[in-house]
Amino acid sequence: MLGSKARAERLTRAGLYAAYAVITAFFLFPIFWVVSMSLKTVPQLFATPPVWFPWPPQFGNYAYVLTSTSIGRYLLNSAFIVLMTVILTLIIATLAAYGFSRFSFRYKRPSLLAVLVFQMVSPVVIAIPLYRFFAALGLLNSYATVILVYVAIVLPFTTWFLKGYFDTIPHEMDEAAIVDGASRWQVLTRILLPVCAPGIATAAILAAVLSWSQFVVPFILLDSRELYPISVGLVDLKNTSDAITLHYLSAASVIAIAPVIAVFVLLQRYIVNALTAGAIKG
Amino acid sequence: MTAAKTREPGGSWLESLAGSPWPWLLPLAAILLATFVFPIFEIVRLSLTDASLVGGGYEYTLGSYGSLLTSPYFTDMLTATAVFVFFSVLFQMLLGFLIALAVDQGARRGMRASIVTRTAVLSAWAIPGVIIGIIWSILYQQSEAGVLNYLLGLVGLGPVPFLSDPEFALASVTLANIWRGTAFSMILIYAGLQTLPDDVLEAARVDGASAFQSLTRVVLPLLAPILFINLVIVSIETFNTFDMVLALTGGGPGRATEVIALSIYNQIFQQFDLGPGAATAVLLLAVNAVMTAVYIRLLQREEEVA
Repeated sequence: MLGSKARAERLTRAGLYAAYAVITAFFLFPIFWVVSMSLKTVPQLFATPPVWFPWPPQFGNYAYVLTSTSIGRYLLNSAFIVLMTVILTLIIATLAAYGFSRFSFRYKRPSLLAVLVFQMVSPVVIAIPLYRFFAALGLLNSYATVILVYVAIVLPFTTWFLKGYFDTIPHEMDEAAIVDGASRWQVLTRILLPVCAPGIATAAILAAVLSWSQFVVPFILLDSRELYPISVGLVDLKNTSDAITLHYLSAASVIAIAPVIAVFVLLQRYIVNALTAGAIKG
Repeated sequence: MTAAKTREPGGSWLESLAGSPWPWLLPLAAILLATFVFPIFEIVRLSLTDASLVGGGYEYTLGSYGSLLTSPYFTDMLTATAVFVFFSVLFQMLLGFLIALAVDQGARRGMRASIVTRTAVLSAWAIPGVIIGIIWSILYQQSEAGVLNYLLGLVGLGPVPFLSDPEFALASVTLANIWRGTAFSMILIYAGLQTLPDDVLEAARVDGASAFQSLTRVVLPLLAPILFINLVIVSIETFNTFDMVLALTGGGPGRATEVIALSIYNQIFQQFDLGPGAATAVLLLAVNAVMTAVYIRLLQREEEVA
């Protein structure tokens, strides 16, 4: 009896390993292939059967992309926009999360839900009136404009997430401080923020990943190449590259996804927790 | 809240202002009003005019909706969107569920490989949509060097006109989107599975239930609320898909893969038809609104149960 149970368990494990192999292959193959393409010579791009592991790997493709195309510039642009977006988002979301977490007021529940509603609106829909509006004001092609819209897009999720995090800290702690004469500002900055540092770090990471992949807004609101973030720059590069430059396009893609993949692989436990908390809990 | 009232009065007006929630919420409200509420009113208003993208005078009319509804492209757009959304959501949830189940079973057995698998799926989701479009356009290459056609050739299939044939193109775009979005369903369902205690599954086993029975009669009913929430979120995301399709096909060949969000963009910025484009945007907004209403109902019911 015990023997058959042990055998069933061994079979289950073998089945799970087989499933993992198939799943992992399906999800990693496209990434593997773009890395492989990025390390090829031009003849290897067209070889049949395909070259799976180009040897020697052409790391020069990366050097070429970073020095002879605008990709380096686009990366810096993205880094700047993302950094500013994360800072502004954290400030605004922290204030709002404090308000939602530490006060009870009429229409609190509807206000919270209203914030969530905006997360569901397609960025294409809002980008069109904003384009017209900013064009009339002469504010197209401006980082300030783009960052403002990025912040708005990232805010609903960040606010909900931080509000949920603040809720887990007992109210007694800051109420005691207020009785002792601390101002609410002091309570927030000296008591809540230090305790909530891990939550704020997670919010920052999520805001950064979300902003890094934004496309519609800069695509519509920026048309001067020097200002493009990496997402828009890559589409531009794709439209101007042909079959013989696929290795450069691949290298540029790898450069653009490396930071987010690194973040996901290193910090996935926090990201997984945050995502599920944001979607399921109110 | 109560503590604020028992505090000794005094201090600056700034401090007494801070005793109300509104100053804390003001920056959030201002940004959301400026970047969401105003544009939403504006797009509805524009859909009722014959305005052009770059200003000038205009009049109010229902003409945009009329020309949209009678346009032969409108049904094409609806069909492409319906096929794309239906199959994306169906397979993202199905695969997400199966993968979550496999990862959860492995995690309960302490298998390291389950974490590797979870990470692989999540990596796909972390990649920005445009880059997913670029990567898949390389995979779908139709020349002899195209890797997917080479692999299909090994098993005696193909070559497949992945992106040049209208029907294949829509299927190709949908497959790439399934690859991208499965991770989200997986994570949600996996989180749900983790909340199920070991003994719920054990109890089903002891009663002589097969693995499949315990899945359909015990696990699925317990997961139902999460599955519904998952369905709504994934559907909204898929309706709003823009960047991946733009980078992969640009909506072509012809308009075979012009899903609704892309159609809005193309009408307004390629054909300069602001009115019909805005009317299409209002349609997408209505879809978003209905699904969000369902989502909020689900959330509230969850809270009543909890």
